[in-house]
Amino acid sequence: MRKVVTLIQLREGTKAKVISFALGRGGGFGARFGRGMGQAFARRLQEMGIIPGSTIEVIRNTPVGPVEVSVMGTHLAIGRSIASRIYVEKL
Amino acid sequence: MKKRTYTVALAGNANVGKSVIFNQLTGGNQIIGNWPGKTVEKAEGFIEQEGIKIRVVDLPGIYSLSTYSEEEIVSREFIAKEKPDLVINVVDASNLERNLFFTLQLIELESPLIIALNQYDILESKGLSIDFEKLSRLLGVPVIPTIAVRNKGLRELFEQSKEMLEKGVKKTKPIPYGKEVEVRIEALAQEINKKIHTTYPARFVAIKLLENDSLIKKEVKDDNIITLAEKFKKELKNIHGETPETIIISERYAVASRIAESVIEKKGKARLNIRDNIDKIALNKVTGYILLIGLLLLTFYGVFKFGSYFSDLLTNWFESFKPTFMQLPFSLTTNKILWNGIMEGIIAGIGIVLPYIAPFYLILALLEDSGYLARIAFLTDNVMHKLGLHGKAFMPLIEGFGCNVPAVLGTRIMERDRDRFLAAILATLVPCSARTVIILGLVAAFLGPIYAIIIYALDFILIYIVGRILNRYIKGTPSGLIMEMPPYRKPVTKIILKQTWIRLKDFVYIAFPIIIVANVIMEVFSELHWVTPVANFLKPLMTDWLGLPPLAGITFLFGILRKELTLVMLATLYHTTNFAAVLTPREIFVFGFVTMIYIPCVATIAALKREFGWKRATYVTIGEFLGAIALGGILNQILKLFMR
Repeated sequence: MRKVVTLIQLREGTKAKVISFALGRGGGFGARFGRGMGQAFARRLQEMGIIPGSTIEVIRNTPVGPVEVSVMGTHLAIGRSIASRIYVEKL
Repeated sequence: MKKRTYTVALAGNANVGKSVIFNQLTGGNQIIGNWPGKTVEKAEGFIEQEGIKIRVVDLPGIYSLSTYSEEEIVSREFIAKEKPDLVINVVDASNLERNLFFTLQLIELESPLIIALNQYDILESKGLSIDFEKLSRLLGVPVIPTIAVRNKGLRELFEQSKEMLEKGVKKTKPIPYGKEVEVRIEALAQEINKKIHTTYPARFVAIKLLENDSLIKKEVKDDNIITLAEKFKKELKNIHGETPETIIISERYAVASRIAESVIEKKGKARLNIRDNIDKIALNKVTGYILLIGLLLLTFYGVFKFGSYFSDLLTNWFESFKPTFMQLPFSLTTNKILWNGIMEGIIAGIGIVLPYIAPFYLILALLEDSGYLARIAFLTDNVMHKLGLHGKAFMPLIEGFGCNVPAVLGTRIMERDRDRFLAAILATLVPCSARTVIILGLVAAFLGPIYAIIIYALDFILIYIVGRILNRYIKGTPSGLIMEMPPYRKPVTKIILKQTWIRLKDFVYIAFPIIIVANVIMEVFSELHWVTPVANFLKPLMTDWLGLPPLAGITFLFGILRKELTLVMLATLYHTTNFAAVLTPREIFVFGFVTMIYIPCVATIAALKREFGWKRATYVTIGEFLGAIALGGILNQILKLFMR
């Protein structure tokens, strides 16, 4: 069985396949777990290359800052709250 | 016969060099820098040479033609409704896939296109090259490789564009999607063509309807078409098991990567990847912050040292003209007005202000162009979240250190109105260069640098507290960070100097006249003996509460015009730039603190009004004024206990 985790749980250097997003209402973040990132944000992520099915590599992931991933040859910084709403499968 | 003016738009992803190309083509003065989101508003310039007149429009950088942010809507509507004669799509050669994603949408919008394949040097440093003739064939669009910062390829770009404008542009053929999607797009487009008239091309409308674009939906109105689109969306969802948005985006990306792969060629070895090595330190959870604080302190100290040295040198030199001046063959009053009004104004402008802001702007330009600014955003994302913002908000705030006006406008890179307003309020509290002049030229110079640092620290704490409070009380949900991290770039001397000059020019042309006129008015007032009554009126507030001399109240009034004026006026009123002789240390400290926070200048208020309306601009202004008086007074009462 494949193992799905959130982006925030991946260590630096791990490659992963994007699976889906926690959508839900609004664009809450921070302590308000359980709420999704919202359609608009999911769309933006996809336009930046974080599309279900695409492969990403975690470049940086420390508790103090955003998660940096390499996708389509560029680096994206993704805030921790958003990263915790992106489901991925470790490769 | 009057010649026709052509319109050419520059469009492309954020941070690919559109504004650099704009400046090079038009000799314009767009602020540039290596971070996404500098251009928040379209800028215009003209080229008039070789018998052709072109209006060039620099559009904000965007990733897509959807309606996620205000910039996207601005760019999309400009291209669709104003129908420029040519769109120069600036493409980052070192990041082809993502950039082509946008190019494909421009083709869908059926705009007449030419591609400037920019930052070609960065691609080469990766040991790669692009078969641009093949790229041109695949897309059906002319492609010109350029290195805009070194002015390479721009001549060819201009000539090719000129030819296209004069001879007319072939319409490009859209690149088809996968079969299931394509069939539905075509069916929907046909229906749209038959039934309604839209400003956008039918195929584009069809795609956007499938992508669930709310603005397009509103424009279409026709129920039959909407129903048909909904039916198609359901079908696509059933076939692929994903939302139609995801299907279309990923198919578009598939086309982009197929094209990118087929034109990129490996050529020699990649030069050492400095980016990863620098980032290992610059973005590390420990060394990153040490480096950040170190750089900020170094900037502060460097600007202070440079500034105070040249400030002394220049003021002394100017003061040596005073005796000669006083002997001019006019009446004593005229001489006094000439010297104290005009000359003191010039001295203050050149002697007190310029030595501090010039190096400051230079460092700001270096931070921007090297790509370090985006790293600051990265490092501060978590802190910003506590304020209900995200790391991107730090970029307009940093801009605020130069001037609050572009900072307020720059908040447009924030996606939501709530975030924008919050960021703008915080931006008005950022110590702009004018306030830096006062803090360095008064507090640091006469009390010592450590006191200046304390004032900065107090200001940053204040920004933090205000942010936290506002975050609780301004309604709306905040959004998260998603930002492309630009590579580091070696700053180009010419561009850094130009950037510095663009900002300095604002000071020289706008602030200088204000300073001199205000100074003359002040001197006339003083000769008419009007100063004392006003000062006495302000006395209870100034002296009893803030512990400042009554004259300081007058400087605060002038400071609303430009913050530098508070210091300049102080010099005028006391007829000296040696402030230690006329003010006590406590007065200097409180004066510096109150000036730092007591309201943005008129230009900032105007910017707030423009962006958020009168009501909110007034709230901010009154709020900050009262806040400054209250906090300044409290500070004074506390300092009274142990400071003279």
